[in-house]
Amino acid sequence: MNLIAVGINHRTAPLEVREKLWMSSDEIRKAVADLKGRPFSECFIVSTCNRTELYGMYNSSEGDSENPPDVDDLKDRLIAFKSAGSSVHREHLYHMVSSNAIRHLFKVASGIDSMVIGDIQILSQIKDDFNLASEEKATGPFLHRLLQSTYHVGKRTRTETTITEGAVSVSYAAVELASKIFSDLSKKTALLIGAGETGELTAKHLNGRGIGGLFVANRTRSKADDLVAALGGKAVEFDALQQMLAHVDIVVSSVTSDHYVITKTDVQRAMKERSHKPLFMIDIGVPRNIDPAANNIENVFLHDMDGISAIIDGNLQKRRSEIPRVNEIVLEELTEFTNWFNSLQVNPTIHDLRTHFEQVRQEEVEKNINRFSAEDRELLDLVTRRIVNKLLHLPTTNLKNGNEESDEEKHKKLHIVRSLFGLHKEQMPKE
Amino acid sequence: MKTLIDVFTVALPLLYFSTVWAYAKAFFKDSAAAKRTKTPLLLATLAVHLSYLLLRSAFFNHPPITTIFEIMSIIAFSIGAAYAVIEFQTKVKNTGYFILILAFIFQTISSFFIENLSEVKPVLRSSLLGIHVSSALLGYAAIAISAVYGFLYLMLYHHIKSSRFGVIYTKLPNLETLEKMSILSIIFGFSFLTVAIAVGLIWLPRAFDHFSYFDPKLIGTVFIWAMYGAGLGAKKTIGWQGRKIMILSIIAFAVSFFSLTIINVYFSAFHKFY
Repeated sequence: MNLIAVGINHRTAPLEVREKLWMSSDEIRKAVADLKGRPFSECFIVSTCNRTELYGMYNSSEGDSENPPDVDDLKDRLIAFKSAGSSVHREHLYHMVSSNAIRHLFKVASGIDSMVIGDIQILSQIKDDFNLASEEKATGPFLHRLLQSTYHVGKRTRTETTITEGAVSVSYAAVELASKIFSDLSKKTALLIGAGETGELTAKHLNGRGIGGLFVANRTRSKADDLVAALGGKAVEFDALQQMLAHVDIVVSSVTSDHYVITKTDVQRAMKERSHKPLFMIDIGVPRNIDPAANNIENVFLHDMDGISAIIDGNLQKRRSEIPRVNEIVLEELTEFTNWFNSLQVNPTIHDLRTHFEQVRQEEVEKNINRFSAEDRELLDLVTRRIVNKLLHLPTTNLKNGNEESDEEKHKKLHIVRSLFGLHKEQMPKE
Repeated sequence: MKTLIDVFTVALPLLYFSTVWAYAKAFFKDSAAAKRTKTPLLLATLAVHLSYLLLRSAFFNHPPITTIFEIMSIIAFSIGAAYAVIEFQTKVKNTGYFILILAFIFQTISSFFIENLSEVKPVLRSSLLGIHVSSALLGYAAIAISAVYGFLYLMLYHHIKSSRFGVIYTKLPNLETLEKMSILSIIFGFSFLTVAIAVGLIWLPRAFDHFSYFDPKLIGTVFIWAMYGAGLGAKKTIGWQGRKIMILSIIAFAVSFFSLTIINVYFSAFHKFY
């Protein structure tokens, strides 16, 4: 398999280096158009904040490129394309060939190569970036089949393992915890104290889960107004947040303050006013914003960063325990892909074609043998064998003489022959 | 028919065991096969159990309420059936283990000791009595289930409060759902007890010459019924919720359990048949 992968990711380079090779959609289009033809017959590039990877199928039938293209040259081309020579060096990039490159792509798609294990957002990015290459006509039957298998790996990982389950970010874990207390978030309201990044992300996730109402309180009122404009909801005065406690079910606090923004007495008063309906509070401020003693009040659930970290650690551990199962899926799909690829080689196809014809011949001879006298039976066998040989002579020669054709053409031809005669259906690509 | 009854007597504990096993595997081990089979297995077990109870009634010519072990079989069935209704109503399917293990225990004891009696007091052959006893037992099964959900609620409540995020946290439904399931069980229980008391009040005076409205079991049941009724009323009017009402559901069950046991053992007069 003439496949090469060259790339950079979070394991080989820090963010400030990898970001230098990050490509926009337009840059990806330009780069694949540039690489198509020389040295690749098919190629595509995936670029995210954590990785930029080039996958290319080189053409062994084109003159001096019998040998694979020079890997260092490819690395240099990528670096030069982004004019990143001052900060990115060859050593930051890795390369893989043949089935190793495929295995790597499958691992990326399954989320076990992600910075956060099980994050398979990458799958849709692979698809989007592949489409860019397709639109530039840089992809062909091999890469299309490879993408199909890659997608299959991602899908199987999601359905057959639990590697994508359980929150692994502070904001998701907070929402997950809220869902363990309340059954229907659309009937609940939340108060966001502080307009910081984590608080905002949490509010976004709560919105995603259909929270019934959102209030934002911030010392700088304009910031609260901005956030409300972006996320919906209502901005409230920072001084009024103690009164708000009686009317909301979820509180997310992330302000910088040297004293408690919410005291135990505030919560006690609020609980009385709200007839002791459960109140869930997440304190992600450092130092803490809410008096930890408030957790002792009945029906109050107060969690700080330590509690949230415990959830995240537990979930990450569970995800890690799924890696062996994901590796099995990767291996199964790799074997299937390799089988498909091998089935497109000339000799196995000729062998399968001949076996198929011989089978038909034998069946017909056996069916009709009793119509012939004993002395003619040997002749029948001989004549039918000759007919089959003659019929297969030209197709066999044509298949064998396809050396000057490109890999792409050869694969297409073999694919047609195989589907036309229904050869080894189990090895044919899935639709 | 006798052979079939004997086969069911042996098969039922095994069926309950398989059901409990499937629910346990689904809860603790996340087994996909167990998740698929547990509810059909429960329904099959309940179907066999119902056939068993009907067969016994027909063959021995009296409802199966004449001995403590017949009653235990009905308790097992009531728990299973009440749980099935709650699972169907709430669509929460992973708490069965904690409930059905009770049904398994009751049915196993029943199957070991049950006797085949054909000769019973004539008063026990009434079908009204069957309705009276069945609805009373279904009522008590439902309040037992509400106590189990109350207990699960408290476990999850304390796990969340103290940041323990293990199996209990991961596998149990959320607090609001557990509370809803517990309350729903109380509503079922209260309704069945209402039927049991109503039928009892119509039927008892006609069946027994020395019937008395001061019978301890009658007073006990009415007291329990009133206690749950008042609790439901308080929830509706005062708006009690969360931990407090779950603790009350457990206390109410404990009171019911002890009062019934004490009444049965020491006080029951005409209201005792075995």
